[in-house]
Amino acid sequence: MFSLNVEKIREDFSILNKTINNKPIIYMDSACVTLKPKQVVEKINQYYNEFPACAGRSTHKLGKKVTEEVEQSRKTIQKFINAKKQEEIIFTRNTTEGINLIANSLGLEGKKVLGTSKEHNSNLLPWLNGNMKYDIVKDKDNDFNFEEFNEKIKNTKLVAMRHTSNLDGTTIPAKEIIKIAHENQALVLLDAAQSIPHKEVDVKKLDVDFLAFSGHKMLGPSGTGILYGKYDLLENLKTFMLGGETVFDSNYDSFKLEKPPEKFEAGLQNYAGIIGLAEAARYLTKIGKDKIEKHEIKLNNMITEELNKIPEIDILGPNVPESRSGIISFNIKNTDPHNVASMLDASNNIMVRSGAHCVHSWFNANKLKGSARASLYIYNTEEEADIFVKAVKDLVKIVK
Amino acid sequence: MICLIALIAFGILGIFSVSYRKLALEAFDCVFRRITLRKCESGLDQRLKSQITGKLMVKSPKLASKIYKNFEVISWIFTILMIASTIYSGYGIYNFLVHGNCNGPDSNALCIFDPLKKEEPETCSVAFQKTAELEAPEIGDSPSLGSLNSKITIIEFGCYTCQYTREAQETVEKVLKEYKGTMRFVYKSFPLPNHESSKNVAIAAECAKLSGKFWLYNSLLFNKDIKTDDKSLISYAKEANINITQFEQCLNSQEAIENVDIEFNQGIASGIYGTPTFFINNISLVGPQSFEEFTKIIKKELRK
Ligand SMILES: Cc1ncc(COP(=O)(O)O)c(C=O)c1O
Repeated sequence: MFSLNVEKIREDFSILNKTINNKPIIYMDSACVTLKPKQVVEKINQYYNEFPACAGRSTHKLGKKVTEEVEQSRKTIQKFINAKKQEEIIFTRNTTEGINLIANSLGLEGKKVLGTSKEHNSNLLPWLNGNMKYDIVKDKDNDFNFEEFNEKIKNTKLVAMRHTSNLDGTTIPAKEIIKIAHENQALVLLDAAQSIPHKEVDVKKLDVDFLAFSGHKMLGPSGTGILYGKYDLLENLKTFMLGGETVFDSNYDSFKLEKPPEKFEAGLQNYAGIIGLAEAARYLTKIGKDKIEKHEIKLNNMITEELNKIPEIDILGPNVPESRSGIISFNIKNTDPHNVASMLDASNNIMVRSGAHCVHSWFNANKLKGSARASLYIYNTEEEADIFVKAVKDLVKIVK
Repeated sequence: MICLIALIAFGILGIFSVSYRKLALEAFDCVFRRITLRKCESGLDQRLKSQITGKLMVKSPKLASKIYKNFEVISWIFTILMIASTIYSGYGIYNFLVHGNCNGPDSNALCIFDPLKKEEPETCSVAFQKTAELEAPEIGDSPSLGSLNSKITIIEFGCYTCQYTREAQETVEKVLKEYKGTMRFVYKSFPLPNHESSKNVAIAAECAKLSGKFWLYNSLLFNKDIKTDDKSLISYAKEANINITQFEQCLNSQEAIENVDIEFNQGIASGIYGTPTFFINNISLVGPQSFEEFTKIIKKELRK
């Protein structure tokens, strides 16, 4: 009763009923993008089939219907992360766009930005590219290093950290970090791409200033994302991209900006994506994030326990699965992670990612080439975990 | 070095499909880098290696492991084999073009694949090619088995020294046995002009006919590894219990030669261009054909 009904969930994912070379698909690359349930796909189709028009601009019936659906979606997302107002929800293309929006409009020139040692390129390059002073807090034995943070937070304008790492699944203690940051007059942007899909994230409780995440990593359509920001902060932000929908009036020599969120949503939006993303949020809420997290940790436990028995295998990050949510990032001694991924795919249709997972900075600093990464989600089963473990064991025997 | 094989395979597939073209390009890049003793950048070799061993892993982990560990060596072996077989084929094609035989100028062996070979039945052909439609001849004085009133008459034009006529004998005997009582079988000699001693043997058979022992002698000639000199032919006659004085006289008689010539000329008139040629009633069958082929025609004729 308190655990996921995985069998029932799997019925919603048509791809899972298909086979490749007569074998079922074992999808373990959800940290990259998740699969999409039929409810989301149907919602996307609904837009194209029933009201494929403009939102916000046209007053005809179809136009009104889209406007209504989009605003309803905004409310759904507002509830999903427990924001105070729906105007605090900005639709973007992905996490990357949300972060870039902040990097370009918060007025950070010459200011200090603080990250962690395990940032995705999307939460690193925007800060390196601007005229800012960027620094990081390194983990201490895989734990967040408060000592270093307390020191470095001085004179910091923005703390821009990943909530959960896509590299090893570790999550930073966001609430405490935010508290300390605020005491030091710093704002906090959380890259929640890997936390939102897997655990309860409440922006009010966290008191976070900005939060960016992607729809495609939480069962939503590809190329959809959200940037949350506290309303008064959003009001004072400069704009990053301007055009249709961002102003309510313009002359040849001047214009008047809309209020948030419209002032940030330039040009025609991905309405089908927005509506589909809201459907994904509803789907996840219905399941319950606490159950999702428990399910992933249970599978992660099973896998970790077995992989730990193999001396040739090295799991990145802390050895306790509870600290790694649904991520198992690993290396087999003397074996290229790309070969590992390729062999898992060729032998058992096990789909994992390999390489640096866009966290090149960490791999370079640790002199590693990359890793193979299995990332679990609601549709992965214990049986799949067993097959994965067996395949890895076989593989180790082959390359040993 | 697997990339070289990949380059050729993907190169050929790439002619038909765009998606392989990209792989072929990758393979080319890889080969080029390997030739210049650098590492293959695209990782194509590694990808192929893991795909192959991954697939094998489920079936035979041991073999997969061997291949994984010795992949470079194995791909070298395959590459060398491929180059060798390419050179060998090239040599064969050269021989074929220059000497008309892919095995070289002095060889009589067959090319396994002979691009010039026509789909024609195998016969011992006479110098002339098929010119007219085949037409069944008169039976005349030729030796025959079976009732005159049979619904089926099979006439064979054969040559004792022709390999294909000899090959056909087994089927002929089977047909004779199977349709005994329902058919008449006639044998006519068609000694091939380009076979030196074929006429000699035909005359000997003709003499056996004159002694009333044709079928026995015929059967001996077909079932033995025959020699064609007079002495041997006489010894076979002895075996068939033929009166040897008569037989020897006959061998030199004008009559026997004339009779053989009559049959041969009948053959020419019938349009025979190679042996064996059969007429099943009016239907012709050229070359050593299968028993089934005979049966098919016989059954059809019987139904008429
Ligand atoms: C922690 C983290 N941040 C940011 C991103 C970038 O997400 P997107 O490509 O959807 O913008 C990812 C994607 O893998 C991620 O894992």
